[in-house]
Amino acid sequence: MNTTTATVELPRTRRRAPRRPRLVNAEFLKLRKRRGLVLSTLALTVVPMIVAYTVLLILHVVDPDKHGPAGGLENLSGSMEVLSQLSVVAAILVGATLGAGDLGSGVFRELVVTGRSRLALFGARLPAGLGLVFTVVGPAFAVTATASTAFAGSSDVPGAGLLASSAGWLGLVTGLALVLALGVSSALGSRGTTIGILLGWQLIAMPLLLQIGALGSLREGLVGAATERLEPARLFDGGATVPMSLAAAVAVIAAWAVVPLAAGAWRTCRRDA
Amino acid sequence: MNIHAGPNVVETSGLTKRFGDRVAVEDVDLRVPRGSAFGYLGPNGAGKTTLIRMLLGLTRASAGTMRLLGRPVPSDRAKALARVGAIVEEPRFYGHLTGRENLTVIAAAREPEAHARIDGALARAGLSQRADERVKRYSLGMRQRLGVARSLLADPELLILDEPTNGLDPAGIHEFRAMIRGFVAEGRTVLLSSHLLDEVEKICDEVAIVDHGRVVMQGSIAELAAGGEQTILIATSDDGQALAILAEHRAVASATAAPDGIRVRLQTDVEGEPAADDIGRRLVLADLAIRRFEPTRASLEQRFLEITSRLEEAA
Repeated sequence: MNTTTATVELPRTRRRAPRRPRLVNAEFLKLRKRRGLVLSTLALTVVPMIVAYTVLLILHVVDPDKHGPAGGLENLSGSMEVLSQLSVVAAILVGATLGAGDLGSGVFRELVVTGRSRLALFGARLPAGLGLVFTVVGPAFAVTATASTAFAGSSDVPGAGLLASSAGWLGLVTGLALVLALGVSSALGSRGTTIGILLGWQLIAMPLLLQIGALGSLREGLVGAATERLEPARLFDGGATVPMSLAAAVAVIAAWAVVPLAAGAWRTCRRDA
Repeated sequence: MNIHAGPNVVETSGLTKRFGDRVAVEDVDLRVPRGSAFGYLGPNGAGKTTLIRMLLGLTRASAGTMRLLGRPVPSDRAKALARVGAIVEEPRFYGHLTGRENLTVIAAAREPEAHARIDGALARAGLSQRADERVKRYSLGMRQRLGVARSLLADPELLILDEPTNGLDPAGIHEFRAMIRGFVAEGRTVLLSSHLLDEVEKICDEVAIVDHGRVVMQGSIAELAAGGEQTILIATSDDGQALAILAEHRAVASATAAPDGIRVRLQTDVEGEPAADDIGRRLVLADLAIRRFEPTRASLEQRFLEITSRLEEAA
């Protein structure tokens, strides 16, 4: 604060600009500048796919009799299973950061004192989070799709329709994980707790529950059962663990998206800043 | 700047905040005049920050009403806060972003014009040269400056600053005072919360003294200090005779011999100057040579201690 700068005028001119995207852009800025977060999501998605197909390619080149082509439908199936799991983890990291980042850094109150509605502040997080997650998961899928097609050799080549539905399904699974993490972390206000709970749920508790046949139709309420129902059939031909109708699957997915978001929005609007 | 036309930029009535059984802010009626530097003065834990948090919509009031820039809050808080800049406690930032990026994020939550104010705000806070460094490398003083820059993005009619000089070195505090007076000279109002009496006395035109959540006194600095104890230090050619004369004077509450003369404390209900004139006249009429005659008025600090100690005795 030196006296030579004390006379600088603050511009007071009126200039029209679109209002809604600015908050989303600001949220995206906050996310993409977190180097650790961006690097870890890349390490979870793009890097494993590149490494996996490189290894498969080398193995095939070195010993084609023992190791089949690196691409093809079968390897696409395996890599999509891995990629979907890792993308869910990446989405949880991003969602948890989005939901609790402002509180954790103490800037939430600075945003509230701007007078902007808390609901608008919360609402900007979702598109920003989806933007980052899809920016990372998209190239990972591109690597997978390209490699499975280009290196198919004598194996079955995945068709465009299958690749498109696989991309859509991956987007759904990843987006749901992001929404869940965003809602839970906004409600809890803690990034670490959210990551711990959701990784435990997604990677341990839910897969176990899905395997317990004694639970019967109760398992239809699990988001994992619903997303499994929508998996591209040719890719994972083992069939769904929990048989359920398409309408039921859509309803369960909608509920798993809406309830955490509503809880997060409600808590964001009500909490002391 | 769209100046709010009313005489007061902050008005509260019966404002109360309870945390369970504990009352943090109790029945506060506050009036902050437009275009002034207003001090909200009280010891730590007196409820200053809680009141500011209620004004800014960070926490809900348990009872009472508030108006900011003539608008009721929280019902019309979005419009009211659009022209309010604030620093609450220690200003917080995203450490992984630069100073400029931090302002960009806040500007995005404000009106579209706020983005165009970023460079000016950084310059005014003296941070232009360091604006593109990550905030986690900033010192506490630089963060305070960045907090000021952030509050300027609103082109504020009202600046609410909670303990703003915490962490500043003496030179920084001096510059900060000048900056606040500069804001007031531009027609902005500054509500400054502080436990530092000296700071409030040097910066503010008006002050409210708060203790245990209640506003115990409100007015101009001069008015508040004038209501305090008045004393005169007198030394004469014969202090013994002077003490006898003073003991009989109706305006004198007490007169005590001290190494450097006689310390005379005046009654609180007398006007200081006429009483001092009369005392001087009587001493001269008694043929005493007056070697020292120094009327003193209580500083805001003395007045503050008087008020708060009186409250403690009453409790």
